[in-house]
Amino acid sequence: MNLKTHENNGTVVVSLAGEIDLEHSPSVRKQLMELMFDRRDVLVDMAQVAYIDSSGIASLVEAYQMARKNATRFVLVAVSQPALRVLQLARLDKVFALADTVEAALAG
Amino acid sequence: MLDDVILRFATMLDRLGRATIRAVAEFGFAASLFGQALWWIVMGRARRQPVRLAPIVIQCVEIGIAALPIITVLAATIGLMLAIQGIYTLRTFGAESRVTLGIALSTVREFSPLITGILVAGRSGSALAARLGTMRINQEIDALTVMGISPVRFLVVPPLVAMAVMMPLLTLWADLVGLFAAGLYVSAQLQTSLAAYGDELLNILKLNDFMHGLAKSSIFAALITTVGVVNGASVSGGAEGVGRMTTRSVVHAISAIVITDMVFAFMVTR
Amino acid sequence: MNPVQVKNLDTHYGHRHILKDVSLEVRQGEIFVIMGGSGSGKTTLLNHLLGLLRPSSGSVHILGQDINTIGALAKQELRTKMGVAFQSGALFSSMSVGDNIALPLREHTKLDDTTIGIVTRLKLEVVSLAGFADLMPSELSGGMIKRAAFARAIVMDPKLLFCDEPSAGLDPVVAASIDDLILRLRDAMGMSIVVVTHDLDSAFKIADRICVLDKGEVLALDTADAIRASPNERIQNLLNRRTEEAEIDPDAYLRRLLGEKDEDEDEEPMRDHL
Repeated sequence: MNLKTHENNGTVVVSLAGEIDLEHSPSVRKQLMELMFDRRDVLVDMAQVAYIDSSGIASLVEAYQMARKNATRFVLVAVSQPALRVLQLARLDKVFALADTVEAALAG
Repeated sequence: MLDDVILRFATMLDRLGRATIRAVAEFGFAASLFGQALWWIVMGRARRQPVRLAPIVIQCVEIGIAALPIITVLAATIGLMLAIQGIYTLRTFGAESRVTLGIALSTVREFSPLITGILVAGRSGSALAARLGTMRINQEIDALTVMGISPVRFLVVPPLVAMAVMMPLLTLWADLVGLFAAGLYVSAQLQTSLAAYGDELLNILKLNDFMHGLAKSSIFAALITTVGVVNGASVSGGAEGVGRMTTRSVVHAISAIVITDMVFAFMVTR
Repeated sequence: MNPVQVKNLDTHYGHRHILKDVSLEVRQGEIFVIMGGSGSGKTTLLNHLLGLLRPSSGSVHILGQDINTIGALAKQELRTKMGVAFQSGALFSSMSVGDNIALPLREHTKLDDTTIGIVTRLKLEVVSLAGFADLMPSELSGGMIKRAAFARAIVMDPKLLFCDEPSAGLDPVVAASIDDLILRLRDAMGMSIVVVTHDLDSAFKIADRICVLDKGEVLALDTADAIRASPNERIQNLLNRRTEEAEIDPDAYLRRLLGEKDEDEDEEPMRDHL
């Protein structure tokens, strides 16, 4: 798994790549929660996610809930097919804010 | 005619042989379970399945604390009974004043561990057998196994540790209650004070006597758990089977306790 | 590498020969149905796939590892990668539904409690049991117990899922919803799924390939369509629910009628493990 962040106009773009499984999801969770505590607007770029398991999804859920409480933005961007299928299984695609590209998310 | 007798005799021998093999196999199963349980206590962490404290505490409450009222009642009754019989018997020789000796030694060395063991076997040993038996026929034990959770570590170790901790404590409590109850009767009957009775106890009882009873109660703890688990694990044939094995576990556990008690007393007092 | 590989499996129960030279493999991402009537040996086969029984001869490879020869720790590791939904559900009756589902996560992972809670409720959503986490298994209906068992089976996101008689004892509507659940799980997670069933409708609805077991032998192993079109008489009998005229062994029949027992027939093998 690979996690990179960069800033774009005050919004933090977190790029996830590779396999997010039991082993890696705690570190994803930790990074996301830190951003949430700082009340940052966050875009999670999931284009390169080959696999995400339930614990990874759970970390996204927790971060998203916190963003809603803080009234900050938390958008999943360019979700890859494997990740999207897992989201759809639990109907979470209807819950998360999704965007097709980083540019579109930044504009919206 | 003779043929018939020989055939019957042969059948009987055959049955006896099979029963013996089964008994030996069951004994082996029990020994192996006990060994595995000890192994998990020591090696659990290394095998990424540590034995956890929370279920042990729950079992301690279930086995120990919940049994306190009934142990108290029975221990007091046994103490009184010993005092009554002791004074009645010794009166024949005019030696009532020596009654404390008999009460003290028999309570601490024999009756407390025995009554505690029998009670725990009836309350908790049977419950353990019933629980494991129900889990066996409900495939819950298979479910644990295929999850990669050792049933021995998850289901056997907590009650085993809890018994090993609680049985000596319950026995010690039964010692105190039994001696106290006996003291009340003795001091009333012989017109002495409870303090004098207490002094006498302190003179008679050695640490060794307490240890004798407590050591036995630890052995009983292991016996009750193992017998309960073996019977529970061997359940077949639905709910009726659970009932049958539960009853069997109580009978086996109490028999094992009484026989072990005798053997232990014989070995230690020689 | 196929997730399940069975080679020349032979097993005995006492003196009875249960499985006879069974070989099969389950491919990655497929739904593989093991079908057969009662007494066909399908439950025994499942127990061998799960490593609950030891074969007389032959081998069972699960996710590339021989389940009967690997070490205890490797086996424990392997078992976290497979899920099992038992026929009876086998939920732990002393724990709430939520605790049942969370147990594998609590025992095998170091995940945060919040994460475990979310994953648990997520799985309940997937099996349409949202809001039932705090109930005890005894408060659930048959169909709900099966669903909860599925939720527990998939909580670790296994690569391989085994389902024992998923539709047995359920009314047709609930049974169909369980079939849909199995299909959804495969499509979303790419799991390989092994289903043991005697339910023909369910089998043909979900199966990619079907293995027909009869009296401990593999009668046929092919795609669902090929099985349906099979000219084999015994398979057609099974498909059309015709009972077979069993061949009679006069010696054995007479012995049964006279109440003479075969040697050791009544002896159940002693369980030597918990």
